[in-house]
Amino acid sequence: MTGPRPPARRRLGLRARVTAAFAAGALLLAASMALVSYELTRRSLMDERERTAVRAAYFDAAVVRNGLDTDDPDVVEVLRSLDTGGSRRALLNIDGDWHARTADVGLTAAVPEELQRLVGAGEPAVQRVRVDGQAALLVGVPLSGSATYYEVNSLGELERTFQALALTLTAVAIVVAGSGAALGWYATRHGLRPLTAVADAAEKIAAGELTARLDPATDPDLTRLSTSFNHMVDQLARRIERDRRFAADVSHELRSPLQTLAAAVSVLQRRREHYDDRTATAAGLVADEIDRFQRLVNDLIDLARSDQPAHRATVDVAELARRACVERDLPASLVRLTAGTPRRWRVEQRRVAQVLVNLLDNAIRYGAGPVAVRLSRDGDAGVIEVDDDGPGVPVENREVIFDRFVRGRAAHARGTGTGDGTGLGLALVAQHAAAHGGRTGVVDRPGGGARFHVTLPGSLP
Amino acid sequence: MTSVLVIEDDDRIRLALLLALEDEGYDAHGAATAEEGLRAQRRNPADYVLVDLMLPGLDGFECIRQIRRDDDVPIVVVSARDDTHDIVAALEAGADDYVVKPVAIKELTARLRALRRRARAAVPAVTEPVPVLAFGDLEVSPEAGEVRRAGNRVSVTRTEFRLLCELAEHAGRVLSRQQLLQRVWGYDTGDERLVDVHVGRLRQKIEPDPANPEYLVTLRGLGYKLQR
Repeated sequence: MTGPRPPARRRLGLRARVTAAFAAGALLLAASMALVSYELTRRSLMDERERTAVRAAYFDAAVVRNGLDTDDPDVVEVLRSLDTGGSRRALLNIDGDWHARTADVGLTAAVPEELQRLVGAGEPAVQRVRVDGQAALLVGVPLSGSATYYEVNSLGELERTFQALALTLTAVAIVVAGSGAALGWYATRHGLRPLTAVADAAEKIAAGELTARLDPATDPDLTRLSTSFNHMVDQLARRIERDRRFAADVSHELRSPLQTLAAAVSVLQRRREHYDDRTATAAGLVADEIDRFQRLVNDLIDLARSDQPAHRATVDVAELARRACVERDLPASLVRLTAGTPRRWRVEQRRVAQVLVNLLDNAIRYGAGPVAVRLSRDGDAGVIEVDDDGPGVPVENREVIFDRFVRGRAAHARGTGTGDGTGLGLALVAQHAAAHGGRTGVVDRPGGGARFHVTLPGSLP
Repeated sequence: MTSVLVIEDDDRIRLALLLALEDEGYDAHGAATAEEGLRAQRRNPADYVLVDLMLPGLDGFECIRQIRRDDDVPIVVVSARDDTHDIVAALEAGADDYVVKPVAIKELTARLRALRRRARAAVPAVTEPVPVLAFGDLEVSPEAGEVRRAGNRVSVTRTEFRLLCELAEHAGRVLSRQQLLQRVWGYDTGDERLVDVHVGRLRQKIEPDPANPEYLVTLRGLGYKLQR
């Protein structure tokens, strides 16, 4: 048995997609929130800063104006008298000459021509400039006549605040996106839990455990799913049981007439030598077919009841294999017990005996006779291998060969087949292996032929 | 000539079995019901009885029980039913072997021959006196075909006796179910329930307390042994 083959190109799973969508949504939301709040904060802080700067500049300009309103004003002294703190720097332009508290040549160059003209024309103005690579706010206030007053407000601190804010908001956005992803993962796990339960139950049912059901009481929203699922399994189990019983009943009903046929044909066979050729041939055909019919009915009955677990006991499998060989007129020396494999296994004797006999019969019918019967161990599993010298089994038939009644097709594909098999031999082998929790398979034998193997777990200590 | 009584309600099966058994050299007689079979066996005892389980009126199980009351004739069940319950019930009623329909005549006669070997072995034709085997107050005398417990004769069937002799000859040693099947029933591979049920029947007769056997003990996973 094989599981469903995974598609060549896999689409992203539902869970991954939901998680990604949650993450993307959370990121989008958090990013836009961060952007908007950054912008609003920046604007309001900037406006506030500008208003303060303008107010301070006007105040300072009034002081300067008063200081200059003397006959012989000491410009530098006037500027020094200003209480500008650390973040403001004053500039005075009188008749095109710049005055500052310190020799600050670079500063004067920072005042744009446009602003000078505007302020020179008697208009107070505000402009953002860069001084020494730092953002600054430049406020120009016309004093009187040819004198204009400027103040350079450093915005460095504010810029740093904005940077910190941007950093914080970005971090928050990332964390929110991550939380979104986690939420999506968790929600899908929760949301998919009923589906997981359905999948688990379906797997159990596929493995033959027809009593597996969903718990209908877990979630009111999923009652319909569990009810209809359970109903489906009930129907399925009932149908399988009906089919099984039908097969068993039919087989049992066939037993009585077959007993008459078997006894009567033995009478016919005993008088073979008194028949003419045609009658003898016909009687021989009838005898052969009754024999096959008997085996078919027995196999069908075995198959109908063999899906129960194995009743294990300690069995000398090596002896069983030798006896099976001798019964088929094969040398007992075919049987090889590999080193380290005990003779006694914990298995159901009837089933393992039938596995051996059916594999030998299969090798005789389709594989030009068995060449080796190997008993080995694989962990706690006993492994039975039967090698034959036939044409082997083509890869495409290696699974179907263990189905019921595929003898016709498979035998044809193998190019041999005398047609006296029941078509159930290998199906029984597979079912007996499954009853032990094991597997069956066929591979190429190195050097030609087929190698059938049966694994019986739990049969060795 | 060895005689066989076939108790089978299906006319065609009975007729075919009688024809085939006569061909194989048996003196075969038929009975369509258990009552008829019981009367025939009482009037003219056959060497073997083949009996179907599903019979009109008295069923096969009851038929076996009634034959067993005063007859140790080998009884083989020939039935289309193969569930464990039926097989065990038929063996417990006293049947010696059980075959499932359809059985090939060759297989059936092989079963009968195995039973005959046992029947003969129960009365060995050896001139040398075989000693009586004693186990506590249990005595098995192969030559006389007798089993005594505390001096009293115990009535056992031929198959039970053969089983007991086999165990007694190997007293103190374990015999596996397969070994017993081969030696007592002549099966190369057979149904181990045959052994288990016969051991159970034997215990009912020879053990003071069949639930806690002191002579015929089970060794789990290995088989049975008769304690010295």
